[in-house]
Amino acid sequence: MTKNPYQTTPAIIQEIIEESPLIRTLRVKLETPIPFKTGQFIELTIPNVGEGPFTPSSSHYTTDWMEITIMKTGFVTEYVHKTKVGDRIGIRGPYGTCYPIDKWKGKDVLIMGGGVGMAPTRSLFLTLLHDLDNYRSVTFLMGAKTPNDMIYKYLIDDWKKIDKVHIVRSVDRVPEGETWSENVCLITKLLDKINLDPRGVPVVVCGPPVMMKFGTFDLLKHGFSEENIYLSMEKKMYCGIGQCRHCVFGEYYACKDGPVFTYDKVKNEENIWE
Amino acid sequence: MIVNVSHLYSFLKRIQSERLGGFDVVILPERTENGNLFYTRMDGEKNIEIDSYRAVDPLKSLFYFPREQILPDKNKLVKRLVLGVKNCDLTALDILDKAMINSDFVDPVYQSWRENTTIVSADCTEISDSCHCNLVDGKPFADKGYDVNLSNIGSDYVIKTGSSKGEEFVELLRKYIPISDDHADDREKVRELRKKTMRRLEAQNSDFVRSGDYFLLKNADIQKWKDESKSCVGCGGCTNICPTCYCLILNDETLSKDFVKVRSYDSCQTNGYARVAGGASPRPKMYERFRNRYLCKLTIMKENFGRLGCTGCGRCIDVCPGKIDFREVISRIMKSPKTQECNHD
Repeated sequence: MTKNPYQTTPAIIQEIIEESPLIRTLRVKLETPIPFKTGQFIELTIPNVGEGPFTPSSSHYTTDWMEITIMKTGFVTEYVHKTKVGDRIGIRGPYGTCYPIDKWKGKDVLIMGGGVGMAPTRSLFLTLLHDLDNYRSVTFLMGAKTPNDMIYKYLIDDWKKIDKVHIVRSVDRVPEGETWSENVCLITKLLDKINLDPRGVPVVVCGPPVMMKFGTFDLLKHGFSEENIYLSMEKKMYCGIGQCRHCVFGEYYACKDGPVFTYDKVKNEENIWE
Repeated sequence: MIVNVSHLYSFLKRIQSERLGGFDVVILPERTENGNLFYTRMDGEKNIEIDSYRAVDPLKSLFYFPREQILPDKNKLVKRLVLGVKNCDLTALDILDKAMINSDFVDPVYQSWRENTTIVSADCTEISDSCHCNLVDGKPFADKGYDVNLSNIGSDYVIKTGSSKGEEFVELLRKYIPISDDHADDREKVRELRKKTMRRLEAQNSDFVRSGDYFLLKNADIQKWKDESKSCVGCGGCTNICPTCYCLILNDETLSKDFVKVRSYDSCQTNGYARVAGGASPRPKMYERFRNRYLCKLTIMKENFGRLGCTGCGRCIDVCPGKIDFREVISRIMKSPKTQECNHD
């Protein structure tokens, strides 16, 4: 008999890292490992509550455990934020397409992660670090609303020490009582601060819809090309396998044709930024 | 092959009561007191109508339940014989087959219902006011997709088989009731009756725009959609009763060690349908969701499955509390000058 497409693998929460007031990272140990390629997503189940699509934030070379960074923003994620170490959750997948990192060998790679969009892009970043010799350089632009919303702070110092890796961070604003010594601007403005020849450079953009939209427009202005801009389409990927149709836009299913699309593929579809 | 109508009907009763051929249940359309046809478990010969036109409930409801546990999946061990299926529903089933049983995944529950059901289609001998298969590449009779097809020619049915399951069923018939060979004049009668029904459909729908240029709907003036959707209340009746709509909600009902998933119908007409966590929605306005349904049926499904997602059954017209007629909406929008202008782009 063929495998039930909704078969869910049990996973135990080993560690919880509170990244920001609204974002936490779960490190989970799966009963049987789920190998994935960076860019692919999984469906995470909170038993008797529901499930939602998330992209792992750990490298695809990490197989002993999986890390998933999740923002409290809706029904299921509210329960994600109530979980405790030792809780049993479910994971099925992986689904969708992956970043074509093999095509990027020898190139400069630019990553833009805004807000919780830093989570899936961290998976890519860590995967690229694993084979850093393959790339000319890796630039990771990280943006958050305020310093308190900036995630993965505890990893930055180590990342900055790595040769060929550039980390540039910004926050939109610094509220009273918070401190920040780096850039205060929209993440899209960081493009002015980096020194990259845009020709042939793959750019990965993940973040809230408004950042994806204006980020893409700014990238085009800076000379990056449509077919090199990789966008994570935020659609309601309910089933993950192309059955439920919630994520259909135009002729595409975000879940199986994506969730990562190059801009040239989707630019003519309606409402891609919503 | 030919079988006598009354022989067949009384035999169907025996199939169910004596479990002949291993069938546990015989399901066919029955005319209720208020005049509607509903698929129902056979209970005597009274009020059953294999011919006529399509039942109120879509065939999908026998294969893809409004609410069904999908994990863990259990094999459906009930063997069913479904009769009186119309071509609009068979065509719709072809779309569901492609959506549920494909190279990406198999919906095990749907597949199990499909495998354990023998489908006997029948030519339409009547049409309802909302029937419009002729507008959307359809016909009021089937020439594929069935296990067995019955064409009523008065006191007899002309039988055709379309699968090994169908041949098994005819073998079963042969064991108990007389089956004779059909002749040229029987086949001629079938052709004539089919033509007659088709002519009635053509006459009924002569004012409406037929498929061919439906792809132009994508370009139509948004204001037209706003106008057309004014009486839409977004109840989702049209999508629930549509034989090709299969959008689902997945619920997790895990209470113990094993994960339990239940799927139920969803409707793109509701506001929450495509809304993502955090509140963003690609179609927050009613007219956008209204338009989405037409485009899904008439352009997107065509790209996904190679055929229109509307099979012309007209159920969405009958069910609509806002009295919205699918055919009229398409025709008005297709005929609007702006839609046609795009043709020349």
